[in-house]
Amino acid sequence: MRKPPIHTISHDAIKAWRITAILYEAIAWVITIIGIVLHFVVDFPLWIVLILIAVSVVSTYFTVFLLPKLRWKRWRYEVFEQEIYIQHGILVVSRTLIPMIRVQHVETEQGPILKKFDLASVSISTAATTHQIPALSNEVASDLRDKISALARVDEDDV
Amino acid sequence: MSEPKRLHPATMIFNLVMALRSTIFIFVLIFVTLYDTHLFYAILAAVLLVGFLFLGSFLSWSRFTYRIEGEELRLEYGILVRKKRYISKNRIQSIDLTQNVLHRIFKLAKVEIETAGTGAEAEASLIAVTLEEGEALRAELKSIVKVEELADDTETIIPSQSISKKRLLVAGATSGRIGVLLALGGAAFSELERFIPANFYDQAYNWAIGLGLIILALMVVGIILFLWLVGIAGTIIKYWNFTISKVEEDIVITCGLLEKKHITIPLKRIQAIGHVENLIRQPLGFTTVIAEIAGGSNDKGEQFSTVLFPMIKIEEVDAFLEEFLPEYLTNRQEIKPLPKRSLKYYLFRMIVPALVLLAAVFFILPQFVWIPIVILAASVVLGILQYKDSGYVIEGNRITLRYRVFSKVTMIMNHKRIQAFNKKQHILHRKERLATTQLSIVGKMGMGKHYHVKELDEKAVDEMSDWYSCREG
Repeated sequence: MRKPPIHTISHDAIKAWRITAILYEAIAWVITIIGIVLHFVVDFPLWIVLILIAVSVVSTYFTVFLLPKLRWKRWRYEVFEQEIYIQHGILVVSRTLIPMIRVQHVETEQGPILKKFDLASVSISTAATTHQIPALSNEVASDLRDKISALARVDEDDV
Repeated sequence: MSEPKRLHPATMIFNLVMALRSTIFIFVLIFVTLYDTHLFYAILAAVLLVGFLFLGSFLSWSRFTYRIEGEELRLEYGILVRKKRYISKNRIQSIDLTQNVLHRIFKLAKVEIETAGTGAEAEASLIAVTLEEGEALRAELKSIVKVEELADDTETIIPSQSISKKRLLVAGATSGRIGVLLALGGAAFSELERFIPANFYDQAYNWAIGLGLIILALMVVGIILFLWLVGIAGTIIKYWNFTISKVEEDIVITCGLLEKKHITIPLKRIQAIGHVENLIRQPLGFTTVIAEIAGGSNDKGEQFSTVLFPMIKIEEVDAFLEEFLPEYLTNRQEIKPLPKRSLKYYLFRMIVPALVLLAAVFFILPQFVWIPIVILAASVVLGILQYKDSGYVIEGNRITLRYRVFSKVTMIMNHKRIQAFNKKQHILHRKERLATTQLSIVGKMGMGKHYHVKELDEKAVDEMSDWYSCREG
């Protein structure tokens, strides 16, 4: 576990995450704009409007511009014959080992944004936990799913 | 046993009691809203509702049948939507018989059948059958010999251990249930508060002032003493005659004074074994042995781990494990502690909330500032204890983790029961070569249960990951 896993996820992940973040930030901006309008129409307190603007600007900078890149840089995975090794996290780096014989099922998922970039995420479930590798290219994701599924054989002693 | 059978007619009473319990707020609502104006209608509505519930109880009893056919237990039930549930014998994990007071009056038992599936309710639950019928069912479905019959057999000795009356009393006295009772009392009071007239407080205040300080203090002590005694009684009723025995591949637990419980735990389903010492029991050298069990139902608000033995001397744990669960016997004395540099993180986590509280109280209610100061001191002590007690040791294919939140917890896990391993580090950790570890196992209701030890030496976490890793070379 000393070396990080070798594979990175698709570079398009950054774009997909940015679009998702923009959609969420749009909500924040709509609220901010309502605040500004209210300020001019019904004398809504200015300091609340200023806080709204500040929060929107800062959160937009972080979630749209800064975090997706850092997140992508840290996201790594590697699939061995006996186990799956995943690393992620920006401030808190988390590394996880999942033995193949503990894998119960594996699935690929694709939402509308991932679909636009021809990406898919892979979810790996054990009896106790679920781990997701987000935003792999469609082809890689399907191959990974098939590979893990073939390698995963549940121990007969297992529950 | 192929004829479809009904449950004992007393089931109707059980159904009615259950239905009344879950609709009690409707009755309260009816009376509160109609009491002043239309009392007659309120009574009429209540009578109609009871009649309706009784009809429901009768129908659900009459529609519920069970039979054993071939290798299956077949249940048919449902009033409007008829349901059939077939449970295959070899899928059944455990069959538990319980008796509450009502069951014992009629010599009945509740049969709960569990499979490995997930969910809050038992797979099948027969609310009331006669005790003989229940035992016969268990024998038929589980095809194991009854405990009592085995006991007569001189050739096989079943390991068995019961709690002594004295220990049970100590268990009650140190259970720490008083905190739970205080919380419950507080919650009940806040609900009742609406019905207390406003001038009651003024009167009570004047009355209390009139009594003088000493009598007031005595009353407070009296209330605490009373709650403590209630806590002892609760523990004694729950764990009365607690007996654990090992029958072939199952752990069988029986306990209870008013409600007799009979729990069967297949050894295969045990995911981890541990022992817990709360702050009162630890100095007395007592501990509670617990088990994490996969799947199964979350019976009666028992969200915590299953208790294997409520009260045992710490020195006796090894002998206990050797008798019942030899594969979980570990050398827990050799637990490796945390490095010195992680102490500051433990203290930081405990002190910050206490300091925030202190600051808040200091500005808002300065006359009560001593309370957060006491809390702060307690937090520092707890932080140091948390640091001192955390650690781990690896032996063969077992790992032992020890940590403390309030109680000191030691958990023993088998390599093959651990579902995933995780190592977490933030920036400061990376600089200081520390890491937090998380091991996941399967818990109750098929949910994951995660154990953390925070701020271990990074080398230790790497040793754990190497131990856990299945990679060759």
